[in-house]
Amino acid sequence: MNVAIDDVVLPGDHCEEIATAGEKSKVILGPGLRKEIDGVFITKAGVLRKRAPNTFWVDSYQKRYVPARGENVIGIVTQKAGDIFRVEVGGSCSASLSYLSFEGATKKNRPSVKIGDVIYAKMLNASKDMEPELVCVDSHGKKGRLGVLEDGFVFKCSLNLIRKILNPNCPLLGSLKNEWPFELAAGMNGRIWIKAKTMRETVAVGNAILGSEYLSNEEIKSMCTNIASILAGHIS
Amino acid sequence: MVTDNADLTDFKLKPMKCEFNYLSKSDGSAILSQGETVALVSVNGPQDIKMQSQSIEKSTLEVIFSPKGGKPSVGDRYKENVIRQTSETAILGCLYPRTGITVTIQELEDFGGLLSCSVNCVCLALLNSGVAMRCVFAAVMCAIDDSGNITLDPGAAQLETARAVMNFVFDGRDRSLITGFTEGNFSEDAYREALERCRAASELVFTFYRDIVKKYSNVIG
Amino acid sequence: MAEVYKLIHPVKHFNDYISLNIRPDGRVFNEHRNIKLNVNSIKTAEASAVVKCGNTTVICGIQLELATPKAEQPDIGFLVTNVELPPLCSSKSKPGPPSDHAQVTSKIVSDILINSKCIDLKDLCIVPDKLAWVLYCDMVCIDNDGSLVDACIMTLITSLKTLSLPSVTYDAETEDIKVDPSVRKKLNVSGTPVATSFAVYKHNQSNIILADPTAYEEEMCGGSGASLIVCYNNGLLCGTHKFGGSNLSADCQDVTLKTAKEKSAIVENVINVCKQDYESNK
Repeated sequence: MNVAIDDVVLPGDHCEEIATAGEKSKVILGPGLRKEIDGVFITKAGVLRKRAPNTFWVDSYQKRYVPARGENVIGIVTQKAGDIFRVEVGGSCSASLSYLSFEGATKKNRPSVKIGDVIYAKMLNASKDMEPELVCVDSHGKKGRLGVLEDGFVFKCSLNLIRKILNPNCPLLGSLKNEWPFELAAGMNGRIWIKAKTMRETVAVGNAILGSEYLSNEEIKSMCTNIASILAGHIS
Repeated sequence: MVTDNADLTDFKLKPMKCEFNYLSKSDGSAILSQGETVALVSVNGPQDIKMQSQSIEKSTLEVIFSPKGGKPSVGDRYKENVIRQTSETAILGCLYPRTGITVTIQELEDFGGLLSCSVNCVCLALLNSGVAMRCVFAAVMCAIDDSGNITLDPGAAQLETARAVMNFVFDGRDRSLITGFTEGNFSEDAYREALERCRAASELVFTFYRDIVKKYSNVIG
Repeated sequence: MAEVYKLIHPVKHFNDYISLNIRPDGRVFNEHRNIKLNVNSIKTAEASAVVKCGNTTVICGIQLELATPKAEQPDIGFLVTNVELPPLCSSKSKPGPPSDHAQVTSKIVSDILINSKCIDLKDLCIVPDKLAWVLYCDMVCIDNDGSLVDACIMTLITSLKTLSLPSVTYDAETEDIKVDPSVRKKLNVSGTPVATSFAVYKHNQSNIILADPTAYEEEMCGGSGASLIVCYNNGLLCGTHKFGGSNLSADCQDVTLKTAKEKSAIVENVINVCKQDYESNK
């Protein structure tokens, strides 16, 4: 079946629009799209999206993480093997993280990473045929916000929820940060790390995020004020 | 082979109801009822599997069929084989080499047509899991009675008196036949007619898939 | 050189043959392999047959046993079929409990036999609710080079057609059973169910149908489980099975039905000639 932008699509549908755009100029195919000999086909169920000029992708529901280059993820160190750490990120196989890919790390000055540490890292390399590779520095050798996450609380959620709360149009984090202070890291692999002053506040942030999965922007705003009033009411 | 279109408009399938994400911990799950027959499917993967069953070319598909009661039998192996072969053609396994995808089917109620209900439910669970697929697939069943009448999606009573029962699974792209298996004996003409009727009826299942995805697409964006 | 080419470019190697309208073993697309059939080769079995289709070799032996019929169906006997794929038949079979492939093949073979209705299970009953025959039909594959189901059905039907049941006298009062092997009655087999396998190969967006595929051809067309199997008995279809593999278009369907019908006539002839030959020599 031929589909257009913003349509609900199923695997096996094809999009003439992308094929025609591809004849004139370069087209970027995002997740859920695949080029075959006779056209561009959909591979995931969801909604076909376009960003000007020529980027296309399918917004789909997913819980299982498949590593992709350039994404920030939250992983757990499971093993120290010589020069690398094995980090579990939720994909089909664990990712490797070299001890040299930390800010200021040298052969003599090793970073202090222990088994069981939670790491916020960037996917440097993620090919389907190779083991994914993580780094905790950017291309200038600076750590930025990457690195070991101390204390805090990690929980899992669907990949869509991460994309939803990171979307600039989503009011969730904007509303929450005005209510009480907390730190948050969202990994594209469906994991969220939060650190607040008290246990109650941590639980409140976690519940607010998980509760927002199927809510509209308006509902999210009212939920945030609701949670804040409950929290404030009990503390005082 | 031309089938009368007027003949095809009066077909009906049993009412279908489906819920996505029925199980919270699996990567994808769906529960589907077709009439009184109900199946529950969970999909996990692409995930790590043991070394000896890994393939460097494509994802290894493992299908487990658990009946409502009793020991696993040769009949269950056969059902697993039908579902595995069918889903293998639909899944783009080459995108996930050295991994495994596990599909588990739990029979909940069987009032006839459990296997075709399971196949449809597997397709829905795969859509929910976000595994890349080449196409969607739909199973349609029909029964032929002694006088040669074809009944689409027969009930338990019709299955008992049927001379032959046929199951077909069609490709969502061009409606070609992916899988087909039959019970009983029948003439060539009856076979052709049943195939064409089921092919036409598969359209309803594909529309149903699209409606389900449409319903939950407003929350995934 | 050709062997190296086959290893490096397996798909292209196969494609080259197909685009020249020929198969790797020199057959044309709808040509079958030669069939060799031998009956009564196992002297310890009540009936037996060996069939060789090309390289695929399957041997079938039937053992008889007496049992009490099931209470819910007191007037029918039992027919138990089993297909065994020992490690010697192919490098893909492993020792140990029956593989999934063997179990699925067993199920398909027994389904075809039941659906064809060639054996009336009531014929196997001796005294209702008391005594009935159990036919253990064991098929062992010696060499698996594709189209396994075709060979299994052929050897099974031939064995059944040459089977004769000894006469049994049952004394209702003493429950004494006397079997007299010298007086025998032939088992009634209606028709000759014949299965024909086809491999469906997708070539340039169209289907190519390969009749009676070898193991290599099955492998190239989506694995040994993906063949289309069409069965005829007495001119009626008694089962079509296709599990995955390349999709089948409507016009190819007709080609397979026609080819299967032609082959069933040939196989029927082979089985009948073999049976007559055996009976005249007895």
